[in-house]
Amino acid sequence: MSNFNTFRSFFVAASLALGTFAFTSCDKEDDGPIGAYTEEGVFVVDEGVYSTPNGNISFYNKNTKQVQTAVFSKENNNRPLGDVIQNMVIHGDQAFLVANNSNKIEVVNAYTFKSVGVVEGLAMPRYFTAVPNSNKGYVSEWVAFGTAGRVAVIDLKTLTVTKTISLAAMPEQLLYTNGKLYVANSGSNTLSVINTTTDVVEKTIPVAEAPSSLVLDKNNSLWVLSNGVKYTAHNTPGALSKINLTSNTVASTFTFQDKEASSGNLAINGAKNKLYYNYGGKVYQQDITAGTLNTTALINRNFYGLGVDPETGFIYGSVASYTSGSTIYVYKPDGTQITTFTAGIGSNGFVFN
Amino acid sequence: MARTFFSFLPVIATTLGLLLPFRLTAQQPAATQQLQTVEVFGKPAEVYAVGSRVTTVDSSFLSTYAGGTLAEALQARTPAYFKSYGVSGVSSVSFRGTNAAQTAVLWNGLNIALPTLGQSDFSTLPLGSIGDVAVQHGPAGPAYGSGAIGGAVLLSSPDYKGKGLGAMLQQEAGSFGRYYSSGSISYANSSFRAGTSAYVRIAENNFPYKDLSRFGQPERKEEHARQQCYGFTQDLTWRLRPQTQLSLHAWYADADRKLQSAMGSAANQAAQHDQNLRLMSALQHSSRWGKSDIKLAYFKDYLHYGDISTSSEVDVQTYQLQAEQTYTRGSRWSLRGGLNLQHFVADNDGYTGTRTEQRAAAFALFRYNPLQALDLSLNLRHTLVPGYNPLPSPALGFNWKFYNINRHQLSLKGSASGSYRVPTLNDRFWAGAGNPHLRPEQGWSYEGGLRHLLVLGNTLLLETEATAYHMRVDDWIQWAPDDKDRWRPVNLQQVRAMGLELSHRATTTLGEVALTASAAYTYTSSEQVKVYEGRGDLHKQLMYVPLHKALLSTEATYKGWRLLSNLNYTGLRYTTNSETAYLEGFLLLNLALSKKIPIQQNTLWVALRADNVTNQVYQTMAYRAMPLRSYTFSLRFTIP
Repeated sequence: MSNFNTFRSFFVAASLALGTFAFTSCDKEDDGPIGAYTEEGVFVVDEGVYSTPNGNISFYNKNTKQVQTAVFSKENNNRPLGDVIQNMVIHGDQAFLVANNSNKIEVVNAYTFKSVGVVEGLAMPRYFTAVPNSNKGYVSEWVAFGTAGRVAVIDLKTLTVTKTISLAAMPEQLLYTNGKLYVANSGSNTLSVINTTTDVVEKTIPVAEAPSSLVLDKNNSLWVLSNGVKYTAHNTPGALSKINLTSNTVASTFTFQDKEASSGNLAINGAKNKLYYNYGGKVYQQDITAGTLNTTALINRNFYGLGVDPETGFIYGSVASYTSGSTIYVYKPDGTQITTFTAGIGSNGFVFN
Repeated sequence: MARTFFSFLPVIATTLGLLLPFRLTAQQPAATQQLQTVEVFGKPAEVYAVGSRVTTVDSSFLSTYAGGTLAEALQARTPAYFKSYGVSGVSSVSFRGTNAAQTAVLWNGLNIALPTLGQSDFSTLPLGSIGDVAVQHGPAGPAYGSGAIGGAVLLSSPDYKGKGLGAMLQQEAGSFGRYYSSGSISYANSSFRAGTSAYVRIAENNFPYKDLSRFGQPERKEEHARQQCYGFTQDLTWRLRPQTQLSLHAWYADADRKLQSAMGSAANQAAQHDQNLRLMSALQHSSRWGKSDIKLAYFKDYLHYGDISTSSEVDVQTYQLQAEQTYTRGSRWSLRGGLNLQHFVADNDGYTGTRTEQRAAAFALFRYNPLQALDLSLNLRHTLVPGYNPLPSPALGFNWKFYNINRHQLSLKGSASGSYRVPTLNDRFWAGAGNPHLRPEQGWSYEGGLRHLLVLGNTLLLETEATAYHMRVDDWIQWAPDDKDRWRPVNLQQVRAMGLELSHRATTTLGEVALTASAAYTYTSSEQVKVYEGRGDLHKQLMYVPLHKALLSTEATYKGWRLLSNLNYTGLRYTTNSETAYLEGFLLLNLALSKKIPIQQNTLWVALRADNVTNQVYQTMAYRAMPLRSYTFSLRFTIP
């Protein structure tokens, strides 16, 4: 009997070993993901016109220089994507498309763009982020005009909201690093720090009024761009704040000159040592080690959306159109224009493949 | 032969509405002629629109669909395209490839567009409060002023025919919780005519539709399109002396509507409340200097729009004075000179305080028939608006009946016309969006056409018309963001609109059955040819302008029964200016069966209507669901 058991366990072990051998032999190096959108390219987030669900995603192939607009609709039976596509994030092999005025996040396969599911039951969702190598995602929500905003915790396996965390008004971009989620509350002057293990707000960091965009530099410092108070009789200037993430306090603040000028779209290059942002209708570049603000503009054009290609360092800027295709301008890191192409309606952001 | 032709003339005159009314009145004694021309509002302007195409929406259609709005009637009966935000949302027109502010809507000869936007919402114009509807295709700047670039829709107050006391009561019930009630009372004697009408329309509009924005297109029920409308009209015509007539007209319309959200957009609880009051008094006097016509009008328009994030109010008062003098020499020529003054007082959340504007225009319209077969018209209008200088707009037209043998008549017609549109009050006064360099829009149009008419006594009437037009609209105003993302109106582009309008109508009587069939096809190419700011979309069809539109309608009358059918094809429409997204073409079929039952001298009219019989899924505005098949049952009792 014991001999038979030994033989049986040996047989099971051998077949398992052979089995894994068989499976691993299929897993070749050059069998990467298959799909129309695996090429080197740039996804352009076209938000569409507010109160009309004509937002979509365009794909610009960097090699062929061809643009495919309305990618979501093309791959999903002409279904409209949603109203005001605010943000697109690629997490693993899925892409999350936040439709702000449709109260949903469409989830698609990042390579084929075929729909795999949808997160519903949101209230004015804005930006999405996910904890790397996990099934946990976060989305900032405005909820309603004139009320406190919140962050919703999403189980990415079931695509349902598991918890909501109340914040100040109009939370915008969020950034995850080292067990903490940082959220910019554009309706006030704070940055919320959320512990992602407990999903509770740990700390609130005061910055300049109306912070909206966040980036992390190579030294693990968090940069926040605030617009300042605008559209009133007593406007305040915007500012760039550097946050020390060990102490979660503001390390330095660079306040802008003109209190009437608007700013936004903070972006960082692939080496994570140069910041780019819009200010007063122009694009500025800021070195992370610089002691003062760079007052010379890099590009003399006002962009609705701004992005930097982490591979090439090229700067992409969109001049949004709401009746026809938006014009996307591409620049070298030194500010010289390379090319332009036409994307969809209301292009507001870029995701690099 | 000539006698049968002339006895058939009244029938032709009412159905065709072209230069024939002028001829008809020229045949009759002077006193009746003057009374007739005095009482007909708007129509005399057809006299000066030689070479242009003027069509009327026939009365049998208007009486069958009396519970509806002007948008529905013109979408079904004219080449114009209406886009509406769902079943009862804001409905705006595109005529001959132009935009909503470039078609003028006039009531009893005066422009009633909302001055802040410069356009009319056709879904707030109920057919029950309107008498005749005539449409002038193409520019009508000299006769009607600002905004008549693509066309002009001419409305008149309800006309109460008959003698003595008359009354009408109508009740309608339809699908999706729709109810309509209206009534009118009128009195007429030899020198006095008065009439009052009132209506109430409540529609739940909870129609089922396929939600195209969700996976699998699930069926849903519209929950936010309810409307409640009511209104009244009051008309008084008093012949003080044989040559003098005083008339008073009042029109009030109240529309409280919930606005449908787009499929795929979050519900925004949008709702709009429109209140429009229109008052007019007109004095007409005939003397040996011709006919004098003085109109004084007061319009008060109030609009409140609200949704979960905004609430805005608009309150505009318009004072208009129009004085015209018409001198007619027999049937040879007629000259009309006139003056039009407008004063606007506007309150709008987007303005800093109450704003006013004055506009003045002087116009001269000349009609000359040098030969029996040749009609000519020459019009000129010059408008003065402080801050803007539209060019004087002329119009020249001819109609040459070159073949009139053997009951066939062939006419060649053509016209060349200038038109313009003064920037709206919003363009001028919106806080923070001022553009000191804004110029009025200018249009130049040429059109030519051929018309064939065959009359075989009382048994057959065939009318075929083909018109081709070419128009350029320059300095087309559109709001666009500047380099600091501030939205302001700019003279953005020059548009070239050109097309073809074909129509054919046949009326015949077979025994006791009267049949009418009409078919129309329109081809409209409207492209941007020059852009003055930004990149533009050169040589691309403008959005929401269908290249093809076709109509086929039939009417059969047998004893008291009448069957109306209307087949409407609207072609593909782009939803962006760069031809990158579109709405597919669609075919709509509407049927109506009615019976007139005489009860002593009164009439009971019963009708059953089916709209969108083929259950076509369509939208006139992207993502705004429209109802599938619906039914309406109507009853009308008339005391003549």
